[in-house]
Amino acid sequence: MDEPRDDSLMSRFEREGARRYRAADAVTVVLLVAILLGLFAGGSVLHSGEQTSGFQGQVVRDVGRPLATVSAQSGLGKLRSEATGFLSPDQNLGSSGGGFAGAAPAAAGGIPSVTPEAFPPTALGGKAPPKQRLRSLLVTGDSMVMPLDADLAQKLVPSDVRVIQDPHIGTGISNSQIVDWGKLAQSQVRADHPQAVVVFIGANEGWPMAGAGGREVQCCGVEWAAIYAQRVRILADIYRQQAHAHVYWITLPDPRESDRETIARAVNAAITVGVQPWATDVRLIDSVPIFTPHGYRDAMPIGGTQTIVREPDGVHLNGAGSSLLARYLLSDMAQDYTY
Amino acid sequence: MIFPSVEFGIFFTIVLPLSWLLMSRQQLWKPFILLASYVFYAAASWRFCFLLAGITAGNQIAARSIARADSARRKRLLVAFAVALDLGVLGVFKYYGFFSQQLSNTLGSVGLGMPLPLVQIALPVGVSFFTFQAISYVVDVKRGLVAPGRWLDVAVYLSFFPHLVAGPIVRAREFLPQLAAPRDPDHVAVGAGVTLIGMGLVKKVVIADYLARTVVDPVFAVPQAYSGPDVLLAAYAYAAQIYCDFSGYTDMAIGLALLLGYVFPQNFRSPYRATGLRDFWRRWHMTLSRFLRDFLYIPLGGNRGGRLFTYRNLFLTMLLGGLWHGAAWTFVLWGAMHGAGLIVEHALGGRLRMPVWLRWAITFNFVVLGWVLFRSQSIGDAGTFLSRLTVPGALTLLTGPVLAALIVVFSLQLIPPRLVESLQGLLVRARPVLLGGGLAAVIVFAGTTVSSQGVPPFIYFRF
Repeated sequence: MDEPRDDSLMSRFEREGARRYRAADAVTVVLLVAILLGLFAGGSVLHSGEQTSGFQGQVVRDVGRPLATVSAQSGLGKLRSEATGFLSPDQNLGSSGGGFAGAAPAAAGGIPSVTPEAFPPTALGGKAPPKQRLRSLLVTGDSMVMPLDADLAQKLVPSDVRVIQDPHIGTGISNSQIVDWGKLAQSQVRADHPQAVVVFIGANEGWPMAGAGGREVQCCGVEWAAIYAQRVRILADIYRQQAHAHVYWITLPDPRESDRETIARAVNAAITVGVQPWATDVRLIDSVPIFTPHGYRDAMPIGGTQTIVREPDGVHLNGAGSSLLARYLLSDMAQDYTY
Repeated sequence: MIFPSVEFGIFFTIVLPLSWLLMSRQQLWKPFILLASYVFYAAASWRFCFLLAGITAGNQIAARSIARADSARRKRLLVAFAVALDLGVLGVFKYYGFFSQQLSNTLGSVGLGMPLPLVQIALPVGVSFFTFQAISYVVDVKRGLVAPGRWLDVAVYLSFFPHLVAGPIVRAREFLPQLAAPRDPDHVAVGAGVTLIGMGLVKKVVIADYLARTVVDPVFAVPQAYSGPDVLLAAYAYAAQIYCDFSGYTDMAIGLALLLGYVFPQNFRSPYRATGLRDFWRRWHMTLSRFLRDFLYIPLGGNRGGRLFTYRNLFLTMLLGGLWHGAAWTFVLWGAMHGAGLIVEHALGGRLRMPVWLRWAITFNFVVLGWVLFRSQSIGDAGTFLSRLTVPGALTLLTGPVLAALIVVFSLQLIPPRLVESLQGLLVRARPVLLGGGLAAVIVFAGTTVSSQGVPPFIYFRF
């Protein structure tokens, strides 16, 4: 038998003193860490569970609830938050949905008025408004918007368009725990006053939302879609900045898995209804006929060649898919802007 | 379930005490740790647990058959079967989409139709690592370096959760002997384990993710928006990011294994200290380097032929090593670049006398140039990135924290190793209460620096 060269340095922990501990010390250390984190960051544990769906999220929430209570009642959570808050890279954009205050559709009420903004002039034979020079574009959403944001930036930056890429991975309009999109949209508009906004979001939807009277509404029936549509409407109104900006809202292409498809269908229906009042400012970019006209597919013809357009997860668009979508978007944007 | 997550924290807090509780009863501990590892893997995708089990079964059948085989020819056939199984799995899951797309493009350009379906197959997390471990197992059995293990031992070896999804690539002869008897509960390297976990967290969550967020991702996404100084900064920042990301993961994996009583091979040894490419590959992803050496370079003939034969083997090894990282031409070119660099280094031998600092500077910048290819989405993007280096402009992205992060990452590798070891020596002998308090403080600190989007996946999870 050949004696192999020892280049794995397996004996590097044999040096004097390194193995002086007992297994009980390992367990003590880990339990001590768990207790300290529970006391000082119990709220963060619960918060993490609220961002995670499925069984894992349920476990974290079950563990996090008592920890959050202990942490809050002992005051240690607040102490930790005050001591380390300055290190956080984000402004606090999470909430229990406050940014969408009043988003639950009223159970009853008057007939909402229809405004002229619901009718693009060209649809009624009128003249299109003059095109503006595009100077700033905000591209935002969840992971769906990546790498579309980079693709748009690469195409527009040479034309001196300032492209603000602002994806918020893992977030959703139906879950305001990490990012409340109502608050986020306001802060984005306040910070950059973008002349045009592209929104592509929906990979993390399906969370229950508060309906009329604070009742929790589960995905994905008409009631859920109505609340989602109301939130979309609020966001679209924020982004259009009182008709000073055009918004391009992209629907979700069908995902591969059927449970996600149910959510995507509800999201798309809600987006379609949500953006209706401002057809002059808010264009719906329907990705379904582009990518999944007859249901999910990995590949499609682009320029005469079959090309894979989806990521392996069956949800996101890959580089080729995003590039194709960018072309559609730019063609729509060219109706409103020059660049 | 990634290591720096609450889910993993809960998982490990349950698994560690139970593991030590059952350790003395191996007939209980092994099924327990196997189950825990499969639960860990199922958290990513339960469907791929069947793939992992299938790889385990296929390679174990082959290994036992090899040990029983009475002729060298039969042993070779069995090894070929096992390696074909492993590479077949890797090929289907990792490369099918890429190669079928290239074939479709080629056939399309000459007006022919595509004979294969174009589908995008989900990549099982860690498939590159556990298939390589499986290959190393059967080949080492054939070479007589290790005896075939028991079924349960081999299943634990291939699925042991600390190394399952992103290595290090642990060889059977390093791990199976550790399963032969219960680990000694009176001699556990707790201090080293906790230190490594803490260091890994800081490297990944604080440094790597910060550099990615503030410098690397924006510049690599749209290099056209930045001028030369920022683009150059992004190239160096990526060198720091990928080191902290991958070595941070490895540190955590090794530290977690130490707390459970097991030792993994070393995977990084101050790689940016290297003064040559050969030296670099002895310091960077060391377990992959030795895998490629032992299972590709040497079987190809190594340096046992003429000079050209050696160069061919070096080049092929690095080319395939590049492709191992991902199904993209950028990785192939990156591998080719390192292969060519190694050939030049080999050809020059000791003939070109240079001061150490100059050799270091050339090696370091060559490696950084390679990382540009590695990070870019396409060769065209890499070209755009490099062309921006010549555009004059201001250095807008170099903030105090970015500078501090770069100084920490690079200077810690350049100071004498003995100094680092003596600093670590203080930590690895600290009292358990101090270790626990320190690790909790590090977790709180690291957690606070995480953006609202959470901890991004480790770069090497994709491979």
